[in-house]
Amino acid sequence: MHDRGGAGRVVVMKRTILSVALLLVLAGCNQPSRPSDEQLASFKPADARLAALYVQSCKACHANANSGAPLVHDPAAWEARWAKGLPMLVDHAIVGFQAMPAGGQCAACTAKDYEGLIRFMADHEGTP
Amino acid sequence: MKISRRLAIGAGAGAAVIGAGALGVEYANRETPEPPAPPATDAQGHVVWRNWSGIRYSYPQLRAAPATEDEMAQILKTAPAPIRVVGAGHSFMPLVPTSGTLVSLDALAGLVDVDGERATAWAGTRLGDLGPALAGKGRAMANLPDINKQSIGGALGTATHGTGKHLPALHGDVTALRLATVDGNILECSAEKNADIFNAARVSLGSLGTITQVQLTTIPNKRLHRRVWLESFDDTLSKAEERWSTHRNFEFYAVPFTGLAANITHDETDEPARPRGPETDSQFLDLLKTLRNLFGFSNTMRKAAARVLLASAEANPEEAVDEGWKLLSTERPIRFNEMEFHLPAAAQLAALREVVDTIEAKRPDVFFPIEARRIAPDDAWLSPFQGGPRGSIAVHTYYKDDYEFMFRVVQPILRRHGGRPHWGKLNSLTGADFASLYPRWNDFLALRRRLDPQGRLLNDYLKGIFGV
Repeated sequence: MHDRGGAGRVVVMKRTILSVALLLVLAGCNQPSRPSDEQLASFKPADARLAALYVQSCKACHANANSGAPLVHDPAAWEARWAKGLPMLVDHAIVGFQAMPAGGQCAACTAKDYEGLIRFMADHEGTP
Repeated sequence: MKISRRLAIGAGAGAAVIGAGALGVEYANRETPEPPAPPATDAQGHVVWRNWSGIRYSYPQLRAAPATEDEMAQILKTAPAPIRVVGAGHSFMPLVPTSGTLVSLDALAGLVDVDGERATAWAGTRLGDLGPALAGKGRAMANLPDINKQSIGGALGTATHGTGKHLPALHGDVTALRLATVDGNILECSAEKNADIFNAARVSLGSLGTITQVQLTTIPNKRLHRRVWLESFDDTLSKAEERWSTHRNFEFYAVPFTGLAANITHDETDEPARPRGPETDSQFLDLLKTLRNLFGFSNTMRKAAARVLLASAEANPEEAVDEGWKLLSTERPIRFNEMEFHLPAAAQLAALREVVDTIEAKRPDVFFPIEARRIAPDDAWLSPFQGGPRGSIAVHTYYKDDYEFMFRVVQPILRRHGGRPHWGKLNSLTGADFASLYPRWNDFLALRRRLDPQGRLLNDYLKGIFGV
């Protein structure tokens, strides 16, 4: 009796999980496309100093689709953030915000570097 | 926190179902508010430095990133004190905060040379970069910690370690180092040359000078077979000593409020590579947080729900085969605060049982697994592993959650069992405490006074424990 009951519960739970998973997949169909993993790995600022800082302190999370960080050159991830204004984004980068560690743990970065790095990652390098 | 992707994927979906059906997704996913942040700049316009978890910060008046040893030596001689060097900022103790000069060694990074078993690297080299650089030469570090962001210099300074009964902490594999000192000189140190400084500097919290270059003993770069599985905490405790004896690397995480432990082994193999795949430990932690949010009021219900959700993970171990540097160290995307003590090996498991029981009795807000590792001894003066093998116990709290309780609830247990704190992790020990734990403490203090008589390298925390 206990075994049959346990098996029944497992079947119900598996069906429920599959249903939820299907819903999640369907919901995912409406998400805007993000850069491919290959693109994420290849993006780099043109400026040599920013490129070195980006590779050292930003890329590990912002080019990793599993990190939860807004991905480099991903419009869907940056649109709402960019709307908050560059000064607020720079402030969040410097002091840390949610999963983002303060300054990306870049001890050599200046406020101007953060501004350049955010502009690059948000794909707004030419935007005032 | 590196545990298991299959475990996370299977259980994460189940948690979503339970959350939606029971009290609502919003309730299940509720978050502690973001801790208050310090201002980005101070009144003088100095930009804040803050550690990885966010609990330590300061406003250095000067930031420096020397590109040569000579530049580093000049900074030590002339820059505003206190002069503190930062690596990845992963220390939870106030080792870095300074109102003087903050130095990054990011420009002093890279592999210098490999000569047989010996490899030489600049001290600013991040562990995540050193692994592939050594692999390119067919070599590997014998052991690694579980985060790969640290610089090798910072990792040595705090006695950072991995796990393995026969494997010492990172500084145990150092055969020589170059130390820039406050008089502007560079000292070559090894067992044969400046031996006292060598034995003191290998673990020295940046208080004797700045290590610019290290020479390490390395091993041939081989593939490891990684295996991760869940089983009852009781079974893990009864088999842990045998596993430390029979596996190259063994560690486990006691998962509080579940009755389970996640076991991880790594052993050398000639099997073809089967990469681990993307990091998904974050999903496992999210599941444990959801269980805390939903069932934190009842240990019985929390444990029962966990056992249902984790049943499939218990039956399906995760396996991977790859080069050691790809498996032993990883990114850690979820921030936390941590207390870790290194206990005499014989006391480790009893102490761990006591810690788990105490947390389950007093702190239902905790959801991070508790880590147990084993480290071989070495002879650096301030090495926590000096004098015999040690077993480590590490308690983590989510960065938004209270961590102060660990000083009251966890530290007394670990101290009673003879523990020495990890130099970079939370503890409230004083200089007198350290003097009783380290036979060469006074020798270290005398050497420090000789190398830095003005205390140019000491911030308030270090002045406190060194009695300056």
